[in-house]
Amino acid sequence: MFYLSFLGFFGFIIGMVGVASNPSPYFAAYGLVMGAMAGCWLLVTFGLTFLSLVLLLIYLGGMLVVFAYSAAMAADQYPMAWDDWSVFIYVMIYWILLLIGWSYVEELDVISLFENLSYVRCDWGGVMMLYYLGGFMLLLLGWVLLVTLFVVLEITRYISFGNILKL
Amino acid sequence: MNPFALAILLISMFIGTMVTLTSSHWLLAWLGLEISTLAIIPLMITDHHPRATEATTKYFLTQATAATLILFSALINAWNTGMWELKELSPLSSNMLSLALMMKMGLAPLHFWLPEVLQGLSLTTGLILSTWQKIAPIALMYMIFSSLNIQVLMIMGLLSIIVGGWIGLNQVHLRKVIAASSIAHLGWMMIILPFSPHIMMLTFLIYILMTTAMFLSFKIFNATQIKMLTIAWTKMPVLVALMMFILLSLGGLPPTTGFLPKWFILQELTLQHIPSIATVMAISSLLSLFFYLRLTYALTLTYSPNTVNSTIMWRFKFNNMFYLPLMVVMVLATFLLPLTPSLISF
Repeated sequence: MFYLSFLGFFGFIIGMVGVASNPSPYFAAYGLVMGAMAGCWLLVTFGLTFLSLVLLLIYLGGMLVVFAYSAAMAADQYPMAWDDWSVFIYVMIYWILLLIGWSYVEELDVISLFENLSYVRCDWGGVMMLYYLGGFMLLLLGWVLLVTLFVVLEITRYISFGNILKL
Repeated sequence: MNPFALAILLISMFIGTMVTLTSSHWLLAWLGLEISTLAIIPLMITDHHPRATEATTKYFLTQATAATLILFSALINAWNTGMWELKELSPLSSNMLSLALMMKMGLAPLHFWLPEVLQGLSLTTGLILSTWQKIAPIALMYMIFSSLNIQVLMIMGLLSIIVGGWIGLNQVHLRKVIAASSIAHLGWMMIILPFSPHIMMLTFLIYILMTTAMFLSFKIFNATQIKMLTIAWTKMPVLVALMMFILLSLGGLPPTTGFLPKWFILQELTLQHIPSIATVMAISSLLSLFFYLRLTYALTLTYSPNTVNSTIMWRFKFNNMFYLPLMVVMVLATFLLPLTPSLISF
């Protein structure tokens, strides 16, 4: 069981380092996929299967697909992959920092602590709370998503026209 | 901008700050901060020229980083203590959270985004950024004041006063001067916070009044650099005379309102037996006073060499919507000192 969690964490770190080392967005999306899959794996090892499914569906199936289409439309002629020198330096720095941090960790038993909710599982209980006592937050989240749409549309509205529109 | 989109964005900005102010759960507080960040982004990028775009990008990145740090420290707090309440903070999360909130407000040593962001915006948007967007983080600091680390706040506050004074000294662009003044005023607020949050709120209110007066005056003069202030007397001589009082109020000179917070902060620090910090703060604000006096000099005290130095501008636009708010705020920002007892009754 410990090995499964360890694999999940390992994949998560590799995916996040792959994104944070600033390659071109096409390759960073691959790092995001790997990180998200490992994250869902970790959620399953903690017992939160519904949350894992929701994350996979919305993040990878929604956000990342939209991002991939947008990145494909704004194409780069010579994209920087992980063999590019600047990206590689970032990867090396992150690995050194991780190894230094690893040497400071003393015990790892906190990873295998499980929540002790006897009647309601964490992930379904959270969903229930969002629709029951957290109704206001649900409305607020819906409003925020709508506002995000307007924000993005406003930001990208007059890009091709430059600064001649203050007439 | 499209009026419907503008209405939605302004409403969302209001909702964001209100949600943070009325929250008792860290997730809701974080959510309010993110909503207000998101809603102001299109307002900042409205004219789409490269400086505005760059300012918007810098603002978004720093605010997103700070908000992530807030969420992270709230999670650490929930993991350590099991409490999501706003006031129940363990020392580790308290330190991280205060650092993140101070990054959101623009305190030294996390102030580097503020001058460039403020420079890239129009004066009205800069006003919103300097006043409304600071309400939510200040309110959160007010609510968690009892669990804040005094050393962290003192160091960052003192550094902000000194850095704010030094940044403003070499500036010609007025928006960068206002950014420096904002950094210095927030430094004064943060130092007094662990001792008396009430005085901090008084300082914040007076800071809002003075900054609003300054921004609206600059908007009416249409001045974004000191050289544009030198011809401001031709546009509205009355405002030039009153602007001198605003600038002296910002510098904290006695008969004006701006003296009020400095007075109470220095008194409170002396009563808490740390007069050395109070001395250093008072001396460091001399740096800020110098650049306010330089603005006063350029604006009010001298006539700069000009082509025809005789008359007021021939065209006088009176249908400006900022005149009434400016009148109210200017009176409040200059002449409120005699009302001190009613301001501090607690």
